[in-house]
Amino acid sequence: MTELTYLEAISDALRVALATDERVVLLGEDIGAFGGAFKVTAGLQREFGAQRVIDTPISEEAIIGGAVGAAIVGMRPVCEMQFADFVACGFDQLVNVAGKLHWRLGLAAPIVVRLPSGGGVSGGPFHSQSPEAWFMHAPGLKVFAPSSAHDAKGLLLAAIADPNPVVFLEHKYLYRRVRGEVPEGAYETPQTAQTVREGDDLVVIAYGAMVHAAVAAAAEIEEASVRVLDLRTLVPLDERAILDAVRDCAKVVVVDEANYTCAPGAQVASLIAQYGYGDLDGPVVRVATPDAPIPFAPALERAALPGSDRIRDACRELLAY
Amino acid sequence: MAGGERLLEIVMPQLGITVTEGTLVGWHKQPGDRVEPDEAICDVSSDKVDSEVPAPAAGRITELIVAVGETVEVGTVIAMMEADQAPAQGVPSPVAVAPGGERDAAPPAPRDAAGRGSAERHSPVVVRLAAELGVALERVVGSGRDGRVRREDVLAAAEQTAPAPAPAEESVYTPPPPGALSRMRRSIGEHMKRSLSTAATVTSWIEVDFSAVEARRRELGVTALPIVAAATIETLAQFGELNAWLEGERYTRHTEVNLGIAVSLGTEGLIVPVVRAAQTLGVTELAERIADLAARARAGTLSPDEVRDGTFTLTNPGQFGTFMATPVINQPQVAILDTEAIVRRPVVVTADGAETIAIRPICVLGLSWDHRALDGVVAARFLAALRERLQS
Amino acid sequence: MEDHAAAATGAEHDSATFLQRDDRIALFALMARARAIEERGLSLYKQGKVPGSFYDGRGQEATAVGATFALGPDDPVCPLIRDLGAHVVKGTPAAAILGHYLGRTGGVGRGRDGNVHFGDARRGVLGMVSMLPDMMVVAVGMAWAFKLRGEQRCALSFFGEGATSVGDWHEAMNLAGLWRVPAIFVLEQNGYSYSTPSARQFAVDPLQRAAVYGMAAASVDGNDVEAVFEVTREARERALAGEGPTLIAAQTMRMHGHGAHDDAAYVPAEVFEHWAARDPLELQRERLRSLGVDVEAIDAAVRAEIELATAEALAMAPAQPQSPLEDVFCEGEPHVVGRGAAPWSRFAG
Repeated sequence: MTELTYLEAISDALRVALATDERVVLLGEDIGAFGGAFKVTAGLQREFGAQRVIDTPISEEAIIGGAVGAAIVGMRPVCEMQFADFVACGFDQLVNVAGKLHWRLGLAAPIVVRLPSGGGVSGGPFHSQSPEAWFMHAPGLKVFAPSSAHDAKGLLLAAIADPNPVVFLEHKYLYRRVRGEVPEGAYETPQTAQTVREGDDLVVIAYGAMVHAAVAAAAEIEEASVRVLDLRTLVPLDERAILDAVRDCAKVVVVDEANYTCAPGAQVASLIAQYGYGDLDGPVVRVATPDAPIPFAPALERAALPGSDRIRDACRELLAY
Repeated sequence: MAGGERLLEIVMPQLGITVTEGTLVGWHKQPGDRVEPDEAICDVSSDKVDSEVPAPAAGRITELIVAVGETVEVGTVIAMMEADQAPAQGVPSPVAVAPGGERDAAPPAPRDAAGRGSAERHSPVVVRLAAELGVALERVVGSGRDGRVRREDVLAAAEQTAPAPAPAEESVYTPPPPGALSRMRRSIGEHMKRSLSTAATVTSWIEVDFSAVEARRRELGVTALPIVAAATIETLAQFGELNAWLEGERYTRHTEVNLGIAVSLGTEGLIVPVVRAAQTLGVTELAERIADLAARARAGTLSPDEVRDGTFTLTNPGQFGTFMATPVINQPQVAILDTEAIVRRPVVVTADGAETIAIRPICVLGLSWDHRALDGVVAARFLAALRERLQS
Repeated sequence: MEDHAAAATGAEHDSATFLQRDDRIALFALMARARAIEERGLSLYKQGKVPGSFYDGRGQEATAVGATFALGPDDPVCPLIRDLGAHVVKGTPAAAILGHYLGRTGGVGRGRDGNVHFGDARRGVLGMVSMLPDMMVVAVGMAWAFKLRGEQRCALSFFGEGATSVGDWHEAMNLAGLWRVPAIFVLEQNGYSYSTPSARQFAVDPLQRAAVYGMAAASVDGNDVEAVFEVTREARERALAGEGPTLIAAQTMRMHGHGAHDDAAYVPAEVFEHWAARDPLELQRERLRSLGVDVEAIDAAVRAEIELATAEALAMAPAQPQSPLEDVFCEGEPHVVGRGAAPWSRFAG
């Protein structure tokens, strides 16, 4: 076990994958010699060579579609979009080719598309998005979104091993701000949710950076015991864990950093409303970023993205209900 | 203060949107050296990139704060300089209201316009638990919003082993249709309730002879409040444990005294504007600030900054004659001082070596304090020291 | 831009060194089979038995068959709308193709996608998607993997002129030329993208774009199956020698509308007449007759084969709804692109 940052854990996963599986190759813009815009792939090209850690032109469709081609003849490509926001430029290959391939042709397309996502860094509208809902909505794609260093490595290794295309959301705000104990060598985190804080009076359901805000909010609420459930994977969504938490706590707050309308939390809320109805002692409350692009100026961004204060206040209001 | 405006902070920049710290690699300038705008003051590095920090204006370096090789958090002040001219001040934009906040609230509980007597709507889990546990919902008192029955209420009702009393005859009393408390009232209520359930609240009282206070106030032309406030602040300097915040595990002892003064807004409620850095103000200045804050509180023109960061609160509702109270601590502070009515009472005094009865203006000071943060001995000694000051 | 009909070269091509007599016969039989399947499919469509739409590549059989004939068994192919011939060369049975059009369980697509959106991946055929030319990008990825692993394989992708306007085409060309991948790109230049003539589609002849992206270019009479075979064979050699991709522009003509729902009224009658006189099947029949081959017997055999295949397809059960979630995700063995037929005698044995 070593203590690593979230970013170091991801680098470690890539290193382990490249070292243990010769089918694994990395593709992306500036990932080779430069080590990546966030330095996630620093040193990997030197260690594994330019045939395995490949610098591509600015061609998101070609990166993703090319990865699909390599995957269907037996390779395990891991693509990086420089910012999650740029996946929009490769959307067609990801949704229409990769996602539908197995269903149409019976071929597996085991690609991973890594997306540095999320805000809180004054990145502005095109460097701060949380686009996971687009890919939850597209059949055939798995969507992973770890919140801790341990899960970042374990879920990335699980994604590489999975025969399906996986969209991997790595939250860039957490890169250097979150650290944790990470086992050495290879391991896989199960594709399930995890309770990160125990409690019985109310459960906050969140993923990614919002897990940390939820835990901070829960800690402030001394007068009640608030549970926090970290979804970890959005597809597959751990419906059992969600409904069990609702049964135990009866009051739910669902948090999204993504824009409110049709964010992943909307799916969670609808699941609970339909299948957890009998266990509810109050409406399912959502805390989310409003339906506007993410602003750049710090005060504006802070007002838009949910923080522990808003989560705490929503919890208190629901607890009193 | 002209020099102060020209003093500029040089901070560790954020070299990359995910970077949290930087290292000072070398200084290009020493204190006393002149700099031109954009001229490099020092070299810094993060794990992503190396860069230099340019001077924001023409001027002179006055102080280097961080040592070469030291790693500090982004935003840390690493040097100071004095600019030749005070930089233009930007007008701060008004505080943005979190738009998302509107959506975060739970919708109001469904209310039946007919009021009591008609069937109340219960949540699914309440209905199910009541059926499972054999609890008659009509007899459960709700502790939820607007009196709704919550899961906990059903569980609590089920735990009562005593048989339910025979159902009462139809009551001859028909209460008026219930309304709801105002938002401000509910907010104050929440705060009070939270405080009482969070803190281990104890109240200690002491009787104080306010003769000296009365004399002083006539002399200065102020009310007793600023005099009590000034004495309180001085006493807090000796008993810093009472000038603190306790938030969960986090305990912060403050050096400044940001004194909150409870101001009544009539039947609507109350608000606690804060006199910041009150330890720097004398009695008359305190009186002026308190009067100004109170007036603006009643007019509703306080700014958000004026109602936050209080480290100790003073409340004085004594104008109507009540002489004791058990005030509720203003979270996350650990103490609150209450001054009630000044009542002329017969007291035992010593004159010419003999005890006799005299008539004195007596005021009971009540200190509610949090037993999680301190003990009764501290509270008692604080009150004794405060009395000493007020009586001298 | 000059009238595309006049630009096609009709030069004779000497491919005797590479094509045995049986290969030349096979080239014809494969084209005949492709055409017969499409004629039958169109007839079934007009009978209301084929749901959705129906597309065919009548007139372009030489391009589809000639190019695919040059590929080895492990060279995957990405056909587009006009390239049924590619499926046929790779060995996809006629009954499975007709069953697919009919939406039957035994059809290649198992009812999940219709008309030409199919491909038997076990035989190295990657079914197209509607977004053109997405599979070209995938072809580049496959070719790149072959090069990385040092395998003697290449990937071939078909597309029409219209696809060369799409962003994906340019990303694929750029990457293929930059990384010198062993790919072959066959541009079926038939003068139209649905109803849009090429003059309204781009400013330059798309073949000129090959040089711009750093790859070889070749132009060929798309209706001469042996010429198409020869130029593709050369492109394959070039690819396997590590010299990078080739863009082959095959001049040809689509004799039907974009789909059965399109009467192609936008094509001048004289254009159809010109190309009707250069029917690819008829050109190869002539060649074979001069070699003393009984082409009528081959035609009859193909017709009989397709009759049987049609009966077989019509007897297949319609695709039944299973769980709609079945196969959305791969939960078992991850299959890779398989090996297909390679009827060129060079690959025999």
